Amino acid sequence: MSSHSGAVSAPAPRVTAPQRMRRAPARAWQWVRMMLARIPRAGRACFLIALVNAAIWGVVVPPFEVPDEVTHFAYAQYLAETGKPPPQTPTPQYSPQEQTALEALDFYSVIGRPQGRAIFTKAEDDVLRARLAATPSPLGTGGTSSVTNQPPLYYALAAVPYWLSPSNDILARLQFMRLLSALLAACTVLAVFLFVRELLPGWRWAPTVGALAVAFQPQVDFIAAGVQGDNLLYLTSALTMLMLLRTYKRGLTQRRAVLIGLIVAAGLLAKLTYIALVPGIALAVLLLAGRAASKDRRKALLMLATTTMVAAAPVLLYALLNVTVFHRGSPLAGGVAGATQSTVAGGQVVTLNQSIDYAWELYLPRLWFMHHAYFAKDPVWEIWFNGSIGHFGWLDYTFPAWVYSDARYLFYALAALALSALVQVRRRIMSVLPIFVCFGVMAAGLMGAIGYAGIRYKSSTGDQFEQARYLFPLLSLYAVFIVLAARGLGRRWAPALAGALVVLAMAHGLFAETLTISRYYG
Amino acid sequence: MRVRVVLAVAVLAVAVALVIDMSGRAQRTAGSNHNNPVVFAAVVPGGGVVCQADQAPPSDAAEAHLLVGTYGLPVPALELDYLSSTGEVVAAGRLPAGAIPPNVTIHLSRARGEAARACLHVGGSHKLAVGGETGPANPSTDLVDGVAAGGRFSLLYTRRGEESWWQLLTTLDTRFGLGKASMFGDWTLPVMALLLLGVWVATLRLLLRELT
Repeated sequence: MSSHSGAVSAPAPRVTAPQRMRRAPARAWQWVRMMLARIPRAGRACFLIALVNAAIWGVVVPPFEVPDEVTHFAYAQYLAETGKPPPQTPTPQYSPQEQTALEALDFYSVIGRPQGRAIFTKAEDDVLRARLAATPSPLGTGGTSSVTNQPPLYYALAAVPYWLSPSNDILARLQFMRLLSALLAACTVLAVFLFVRELLPGWRWAPTVGALAVAFQPQVDFIAAGVQGDNLLYLTSALTMLMLLRTYKRGLTQRRAVLIGLIVAAGLLAKLTYIALVPGIALAVLLLAGRAASKDRRKALLMLATTTMVAAAPVLLYALLNVTVFHRGSPLAGGVAGATQSTVAGGQVVTLNQSIDYAWELYLPRLWFMHHAYFAKDPVWEIWFNGSIGHFGWLDYTFPAWVYSDARYLFYALAALALSALVQVRRRIMSVLPIFVCFGVMAAGLMGAIGYAGIRYKSSTGDQFEQARYLFPLLSLYAVFIVLAARGLGRRWAPALAGALVVLAMAHGLFAETLTISRYYG
Repeated sequence: MRVRVVLAVAVLAVAVALVIDMSGRAQRTAGSNHNNPVVFAAVVPGGGVVCQADQAPPSDAAEAHLLVGTYGLPVPALELDYLSSTGEVVAAGRLPAGAIPPNVTIHLSRARGEAARACLHVGGSHKLAVGGETGPANPSTDLVDGVAAGGRFSLLYTRRGEESWWQLLTTLDTRFGLGKASMFGDWTLPVMALLLLGVWVATLRLLLRELT
């Protein structure tokens, strides 16, 4: 029987605007609690573990010793102080305050020099405090640096802890901003957890194991330790894969179409590297829309348009602001041109053929018709594998050589186990193969973009561009690899092997931390 | 049961490895004068002296390490003096002639006061190049026989004897709190260690719940 029958309900009391404003925090908190309640307890635990672990790393690594942290901080500080991204003028990159801090920390005698140490004695610390107490200006001129052509989303987020810091001291602000990176890393771990759960719903242990493998990956934690825009790139990439997989398995709805669009927009406004993922994402969205079109063609087209509009609108607005308000030279502030120009310093021209050869050799053995050997050592091992195990600091300290050589045998074993598991669960994998083909295109786009930018950087500077962290937008696939390896000996042994692999990841992280402590304080 | 055994064995193995790693003995760094030996920053004639202002050895420094170039000859006798602002020698070390270049070590006496500058006296009659950094002239630029040399020589300090990380813990604890936001201090390293222990315990509990 309907509850409306007969009775005339009293009109709801009218809620005024100030009342709504007062209730907003409570409603927001209620929404957060509801969302948190939907996350499995193990996922929340993985999030907290990752958050605390990354925050510890943020204290262990001395100020500005995370790669490029100096320039990322400078961008965030400029944005926090002025409300605008840096205009990229040919002026100093850092504010007087940051420049003073870098000099007083002896930053330039530490980076890239394994024997270099920063502040080691109380007397040196007193000098640092005295120089910072002279209150040099935190307002710089927004001069061009390696990151000023990046979009501003990460830096806008970093401006929040910058202003929330209880002290105006630059080192205190840096520490609070590092917490944002730890939070983003923890969110990435949670996204990985949900991704594995979506992929392998019947394997109860798998999401926890995949997420923890990422949470304790020391190279991930090293980046999460600092003010570094890559952290938002990793999160948006992990969220993208999660949403695409979830939508593939559950179907495209208006809400999911909006969410995918929002995540893509966030990714594009986080770091330009995300552009490399877009062809794969576009393919995935077309696939999702195609599947939806079999039921309702018009609705599918509408959802496809929704995703595109939601993804494109903020990016177009940013491009417009760059030209009209921020005066940053071009719609993308020169970010794409900087990484893709064919004529590099000295007038040398990099051809498409060279770019393809270079990108190929970065990941695969050189073929007979590729005449130029770009790498003295095999980059698969030297850059990607060894770099994932640990090339820390400004690439200035590593584990002992035996760690890397022995780790190869472990990798062979894990790869064999993962392959075995793939064969065992091939039917389950086949059901998600189309979306994984899209992930493959995303991965290929990223790898190609790294190669494309890499040869230009190398031709300009003579230095190597590639670092293992550039592949970390694919962390979700790394988690799947670990989970499959754990399953390689069959269902019976999977939990035990999974436990051993997580403890191995924890040990990897622990010894990376002791190595870091010995590098900077020992 | 299988998972519990595997986790217990794995954690025990990590603990043993950590103890072994922490127990390794080696000579430990006491600090530096923040100049890296990347180039030869000063050339000192035989019998000459190169001095650098604002130099005081760390209180735990027992040895100073220098990079020297001798143009194919053995290293001459070297004397490293730390002088107070009044010119009094407050710490010193001597290296007899005949050491093998390029890396030389000078044993230092314990400082008896506050040093203001370091002077390296070069014995013999042949010139000696000293490793360090070049850069714009400032009050701490090297003076070779009183004339600005356009660089700063490098001094890397080590502590006395060989020590394990366990023996260095209190020193590490102090250093860990320096050069960071002023809210950090001697408490930071033990608290981080405890937090990390908490992370491990929480992870192991989670694994036991999810894997069994």
